Amino acid sequence: MTEIAFNAPQKKTGESRWQRVVRTLLYGANVDRNVKAKARIGLAVIAFVAVYGIIASKLVMFAMISEGHGGRRSVAQDAMATARPDIVDRQGAIIATDVKMPSLFAEPRRLIDVDEATEMLTAVLPDLDAKDMRERLSSGRGFAWPRREITPAQQREIHRLGLPGIGFLTENKRVYPNGPVVSHLIGHVNVDNQGIAGIEKWLDGQGLAALHMAGLATDRLQKPVELALDLRVQFALRDELAKARDKFSAKAAAGLMLNVNTGEIVAMASEPDYDPNNPREANDPTRINRLTTGVYEMGSTFKALTIAMGLDSGRMGLNTTFDARMPLRYGKFAINDYHAQRRVLSIPEIFTYSSNIGTARLALALGVDYHKAWLKKMGQLDRLRTELPESAEPIVPKRWGELNTVTIAFGHGLSVAPLQAVMGVAATLNGGLLIPPTFLKRSPEEARAMAQQVIKPETSIKMRYLMRLNAEIGSAKTANVDGYYIGGKTGTAEKVINGRYSKTKLLTDFMAVLPADKPQYLLLVMLDEPQATKETHGYATAGWNAAPTASKVIARVAPLLDIAPRFDLPKAEQAILVSNQVAR
Amino acid sequence: MMRILNILVIAALVAAAAYVYKIKFESTLQAERVAKLRHELRRERDAVAILRAEWAKLQAPLRVQGLADRHLKLKPLASAQLGNFDNLPMRPTPAPPPNDPIASLMAPAAPPETTGSILAPGAPR
Repeated sequence: MTEIAFNAPQKKTGESRWQRVVRTLLYGANVDRNVKAKARIGLAVIAFVAVYGIIASKLVMFAMISEGHGGRRSVAQDAMATARPDIVDRQGAIIATDVKMPSLFAEPRRLIDVDEATEMLTAVLPDLDAKDMRERLSSGRGFAWPRREITPAQQREIHRLGLPGIGFLTENKRVYPNGPVVSHLIGHVNVDNQGIAGIEKWLDGQGLAALHMAGLATDRLQKPVELALDLRVQFALRDELAKARDKFSAKAAAGLMLNVNTGEIVAMASEPDYDPNNPREANDPTRINRLTTGVYEMGSTFKALTIAMGLDSGRMGLNTTFDARMPLRYGKFAINDYHAQRRVLSIPEIFTYSSNIGTARLALALGVDYHKAWLKKMGQLDRLRTELPESAEPIVPKRWGELNTVTIAFGHGLSVAPLQAVMGVAATLNGGLLIPPTFLKRSPEEARAMAQQVIKPETSIKMRYLMRLNAEIGSAKTANVDGYYIGGKTGTAEKVINGRYSKTKLLTDFMAVLPADKPQYLLLVMLDEPQATKETHGYATAGWNAAPTASKVIARVAPLLDIAPRFDLPKAEQAILVSNQVAR
Repeated sequence: MMRILNILVIAALVAAAAYVYKIKFESTLQAERVAKLRHELRRERDAVAILRAEWAKLQAPLRVQGLADRHLKLKPLASAQLGNFDNLPMRPTPAPPPNDPIASLMAPAAPPETTGSILAPGAPR
């Protein structure tokens, strides 16, 4: 008997004690009815208390957590074009900003009288095409834009006309307060505020386009983009380039100021340019940015790279000499010097007399493969990519033999973008670091982190010495500015017309390093087809046009860049070689 | 006992309903105020942006250069015009006043050194 009683309660194993109590309470057949009723009511009470408890706790939660994005209501008249972040220069001056402008839209389906509407609109906006407008408004479509971005005064007048079916939407218009002063660098936008050139296009690629697609970039909440550009330096550079272009009747003038320690491009101008507020002229092929999208044979400024190669190889020093008595003959070609000295020249003399023969012999002494590898190391053979979407591929000879090495040594066989050449020369002067140029603000520490050591620091000091020597006794004499210890290298390249070198069409450039003993900035001034004038005694080489322009730019710009003038400094050998304890 | 409890619970229910209504009303009010403030903020921000753009346009180097060329007689800065504080000489010590009683009777004492065209207050013109 007892065994049977024992077995009964343990019929369902695995069931907890609680579950058994509840089951017997609610459904048990042998439990008192009142107790069962009370148990059921209790269960219902527990359920309701739980639900209200959840509601109460959610209320408390909502009260405590600060309000998120749930409360943002988009205004019905809100902008359709993306709000873009402001672009400012390194001092904080505005280069590009958004301004809200009303845009006129029409709903042709709701228009009552198309003729009246067209007449009144063309009265307020005189340059609206009446025929075209009439067609569009009677087309029966749902939506049309008669005119985007009208002035607030025009908006008021059209509003007073009281036409049904005409309304306004505020749009963001991109405004460039400086006009053509910053054009290629900043680029421009189309009417929908999408960047189509320059830094504006780069901004889009940085995720602004994605935000616009998601509809999240309609309000001005983004931080301004800081450029490395200095507006005052840019203005001075562009002004002097425009004056030089007029004075020497050049086809084009371009200039670039690079900070050699950070790779920041402090100013970049290429005349002729355009006004980004009216970008219609931007597509003109003569208005390209000659510094990044044009490739040119840079001429003798390239010798700086060749000589740096020689000095860095360890096989040559500043006292090494090369024979420049006879023109260098290669098959039917003869390489001649412009200021032919007809004697054996040491490396400093090769640099200051800008001897093609000497440089060619130097390159040949190191060999074709060494030369090619060196130029590749210095980034002269590959396309240079910066934040600007436009870039140019250098024109490299397909078959590179000794003749190519000879001509490339003095800057004639290889066409590079001028920005590339500037990057290479900057690496020879800043202690040997090849830093990719940038248009955005960058600190020296960041630059050093992404730099490559391509030359020994001693070679860099020797190059500074050579640049300064060139300004003291060499072809860069005309670029000297009182009080600024500059160094420089001129370059005059004959342009290739119809496959042959033209003696009359030249491309002159000048690279100036400021100051030469502790370089901070490298300035490039480039003139395309300058003509000789009376003051230049009939010469159109770089020492007569590009170098004096560079000196004017430096005189204007050095105080802005915090470079104090220093007078009565010792000569190059003392100031640079001896003070840094570098042997010849 | 149960009746009192029931009455209390009903009173609590009414009070809770009134409280919830009050909260809802107030939150609607606040939400409207927030929206109004946001709208005004947006308008202010737009106005500020327009003013900043206007200011940048007025300050643009191109415009200022044009105005300076037309109205001012300023010339470009030469490097010799910039100096360092280290290069400035120290102020010379003033000479001791002469101890001549007769000369001081004949002519009044010279005014202290003036370095500009503005005379010391009270000095004879």
